Amino acid sequence: MKFLLKISVFIIPMSFIFLFFILLTNEDSYPGADYDIYEIPQFELKDLDNIKTINTDLFSGDFVLNVWASWCITCVIEHPYLMRLNSKGIPVIGLNYKDEREDAVIWLNKYGNPYKTIIHDFKGTLALDLGVTGAPETFLISNGQIVAHFQGEVNDLIWKDVFLPIIEERKMF
Amino acid sequence: MIIEISHFLSVLAAGLFFLVGYFALFTSSLNTAYLSNLISRTYSHGFLFLICSFIIYVWLAITDNFSVQYIANHSNTALPTFYKISSIWSAHEGSMFLWIVFLSLWGFIFNVTVKNEEILKAKSIGIISFVIVGFLLFLLATSNPFATILPIAPLNGADINPVLQDPALAIHPPTLYLGYVGFVIPFACAISFLLEGKTSIKWEVLARKWSIAAWVFLTVGITLGSWWAYYELGWGGYWFWDPVENVALMPWLAATAFVHSLSVSIKSSQLRVWTILLSILVFSLSLFGAFIVRSGIIDSVHSFANDPERGLYLLAFIGIIIFISISLFVLRISSIQSKLTIKKFSKQSFISLNNIIFGALIFSVMLGVTYPLIYEYLFDQKISIGAPFYNAIFIPIVILASFFLFFSVDSKWSRNSSFSFLKKPIFLSLILSITSTLFVMIFFSTKNIPILLSVFAGLLIIYRYIYEIINYFLYKKFINPFSVIAHMSLGLLIVSISFNSLLSSERAINIYINEYEEYKDLKILFQDLGVEEKSNYDSIKAKFLVEDIKGNKFNLNPEKRKYFTRGQITTETAIHVTPLRDIYMTIGDQLDDGSWIVNIQINYLIRWIWISALLMGLAGIMLIFSKKLRA
Repeated sequence: MKFLLKISVFIIPMSFIFLFFILLTNEDSYPGADYDIYEIPQFELKDLDNIKTINTDLFSGDFVLNVWASWCITCVIEHPYLMRLNSKGIPVIGLNYKDEREDAVIWLNKYGNPYKTIIHDFKGTLALDLGVTGAPETFLISNGQIVAHFQGEVNDLIWKDVFLPIIEERKMF
Repeated sequence: MIIEISHFLSVLAAGLFFLVGYFALFTSSLNTAYLSNLISRTYSHGFLFLICSFIIYVWLAITDNFSVQYIANHSNTALPTFYKISSIWSAHEGSMFLWIVFLSLWGFIFNVTVKNEEILKAKSIGIISFVIVGFLLFLLATSNPFATILPIAPLNGADINPVLQDPALAIHPPTLYLGYVGFVIPFACAISFLLEGKTSIKWEVLARKWSIAAWVFLTVGITLGSWWAYYELGWGGYWFWDPVENVALMPWLAATAFVHSLSVSIKSSQLRVWTILLSILVFSLSLFGAFIVRSGIIDSVHSFANDPERGLYLLAFIGIIIFISISLFVLRISSIQSKLTIKKFSKQSFISLNNIIFGALIFSVMLGVTYPLIYEYLFDQKISIGAPFYNAIFIPIVILASFFLFFSVDSKWSRNSSFSFLKKPIFLSLILSITSTLFVMIFFSTKNIPILLSVFAGLLIIYRYIYEIINYFLYKKFINPFSVIAHMSLGLLIVSISFNSLLSSERAINIYINEYEEYKDLKILFQDLGVEEKSNYDSIKAKFLVEDIKGNKFNLNPEKRKYFTRGQITTETAIHVTPLRDIYMTIGDQLDDGSWIVNIQINYLIRWIWISALLMGLAGIMLIFSKKLRA
């Protein structure tokens, strides 16, 4: 028993150290990115103002689809970059994920709205079909097809390394 | 030239601190008065060099010496002197510099004030010195604040983040740092005790005052941070379970358990194993906090530096410290275990329960911080762990802890005591708490069980201690004033947090100029909107006249600013403070139809959350200056 105690007192902190060592030296720099190409799933949802009905037809051109929510801290960090994309003229559609309308509106008023359109997915049904696991996640959509998907905060580095090669290859926007 | 002098002084200090450590830990004849005198003096000189280096650095910042890269990046000529100084700790390099200066400052005060326990003191100074050397090497090798822009310095610097240009934020990091690094003293004392290996040495007595002082700084620092986030970030909450908040909370929890465990070890030489383990844990968690914040491994609203090299260095440093201290601990564990058994329902038994409870809380927070990282590594997916996880864990455990605290009031040191619910104080406070909770339930017509239970638990503590206070005034029955204040503040904290989450509400309203809106009992008149141009930002300032149900009228002027240098938009909240509630207002965007979106929050008892945290700190300060610890 005493031996076990000694060993565990030693092993628990050391395993935390080891864990962080692995995480820090992890070379795989963009673990959240994948480039599977697939169709946008069929859906019909309301927009954030609960006025317009939005369905798959929306995605005829080239878009960035950003999954966000007012409860998501990383979304706040990501937000200025989306504003920049918007000001560069890249259309960004928001998918408001498992969020109350009112909270989402407060959030947008507080930080500003980078989105052309916002789909309100309260139950997370569309998000589920898209393979979303949390917020933020970002999709690159070209003519109804998903061509890139990234989980986590999009910033300049991610944009240049994950999305830009695809955009240039497909001559999007 | 002056920059190089400052730089050189800190290099010299590192050398001197290394010598101190070497003298203290690697020379065999420590017993000579000569050697301990040498250690003490060399340490003071090392501190002198370091503090001079820092003072020169502050002076460089005040005089806008932009040939220093760090100052050029984080300060500019337009800033008031106060913010020129605080710009030093607005980013990584300067923060680390301040951190090290504080570390050596604690050691210096320890060095000049402690007159007894020569050997223990000398060894502790040696350990503190090695910790300082480790951090100084980190500073000079990976994050040099003295790097210069040569030959031509920029005429003006960048701006500091406007969110950080705030008095509370200028004071909050230094206070926190003082708390974090203050735990180097109990840590050093514990390690030198383990090195000596003589159970007769009472390192706990030596470390007590320092531990409480560091705990006070940590408590006040966290409270200031919470208060700043409330009015400056415009989110209107007091706690977000943000990773950076969590890494400050963990050492606080560990430290709270530590100071309790320490009192048992001093009183009856029991729980010494716990106390040593906790002293190592507190300091490791403080370093871990530095690691998390500085390595940028976690996304956070605080997001500071992002540099794996720094992270690796700090991690290796923490790893070495933990490895050495745990090895020593495991070697000595059998000799420091107390032969005395802990009596059932004695004070000691409750404090050992307390250790376990706090251990569970620390482990949960640690899990909450690390789990997203592990998950991301294994499954390539990011997840966010937030308030629901922490609430699910903290609420039941804190309620349980409150019950234990309630019963512990009746317990005695080293003696069995029996419990009966029919005992007058227990019975009375139970009845009072139950009736008050029922009253809350009916008056606010709520069936929220977690909140009602929390209110009950908080009130139980408060009533129980009120009974003690009454007893003291009527019958001169002994009370420990520090314990009473600290624990009643805890009760107040629990009650305030419960009522805050029960009653607070927020809403975004659409409002035109010169129009009325109503929200809850408030009548809101949008009187005017002004656009102003200031020296470093444009601002939109709204004027609202708000009238509450009692007919009190007051103005609220929320503001939105756009800063020129960074293009950053900040919201300046308008808050009307009353003892019971805050009316909190931020202004959003203008809609196409000309109306404005305004966000209103009514936050109940939020001031009491900070007041009770500060009262806990006050209890600590009183204890430090009391007769009890003067010996």
